[in-house]
Amino acid sequence: MADPRNPGTSDAAQAAGLLVAVAETLNERLAVTAEELARSQLLLRESSAHLMIAFRGAADRIVAAQNAAANGPEERNAEYALVLDHLYRAVHHLQSHDLVNQLIDAQKLRVGKMREKLEEALSLAAPPAREPQQPEQWIERSRAMLDCIVAGIRQIDDDARAPVRSDKHHAGSVDLF
Amino acid sequence: MKTILAVDDSATMREMVAFVLESAGYRVIEAEDGAQGLERATSTSVDLVITDQNMPNMDGLTLVRSLRELRDYKSVPILLLTTESSDAMKAQGRAAGATGWLVKPFDPATLLEVVQKVLR
Repeated sequence: MADPRNPGTSDAAQAAGLLVAVAETLNERLAVTAEELARSQLLLRESSAHLMIAFRGAADRIVAAQNAAANGPEERNAEYALVLDHLYRAVHHLQSHDLVNQLIDAQKLRVGKMREKLEEALSLAAPPAREPQQPEQWIERSRAMLDCIVAGIRQIDDDARAPVRSDKHHAGSVDLF
Repeated sequence: MKTILAVDDSATMREMVAFVLESAGYRVIEAEDGAQGLERATSTSVDLVITDQNMPNMDGLTLVRSLRELRDYKSVPILLLTTESSDAMKAQGRAAGATGWLVKPFDPATLLEVVQKVLR
């Protein structure tokens, strides 16, 4: 505990206490976010897996039927082409599922890194064998904690290095060199 | 029948590309990353390579550069199919020797048009 007879030490200790409260609150919120991301990803993966099974079944059938009827009546081939067109639309949306899944992976990684830094900050606040008695010692400890907290928050900037960067404006665009 | 090598670390994406191309009569072989793609390309004769950019082991641009160093792949078309859409990345692709750049998610009809065009 801070020395109550030294007001400078007491203030510095209080400031350190505030940082601990900030780090703890952020960490709790991030834990909830991490859990929600994991749940969302699980639901998405299950849904995508079922869609892929249905897609595969339909795709295999239509390609086989199309090959078998390659020289068949034109009307039938036109019908197959129509079914294929529907499957092509599904291809577009199944890709989006896959991209969202990658995006969630990137977010999970980012949240995980933020939590690591916050836990590092909290570990600095753990009572050492000898409590700091001087304001400078509290300030030094607070600075180290603040560095960790800021490093954790900076993980948000890692967005620029996320694997999924395609936006709606560019999606599907083609450049031939 | 033309053979197309589809390189992507996402199984779903490979499956989508393969389905679209096979439904149009192409033969598709797959690879999970650039390193495997390079191995497949050197062991099989390939008419077109479609590769993702961000992959483990070897990324798409490195694969393009590696393929362009091989005599058999000096003029084989190589398309990047990726979520990357910045002009800077596209410029890197062009400099590496890529034939074209497509941004995910792709439209199947557009992909087929591009494939037909570069294979002509």
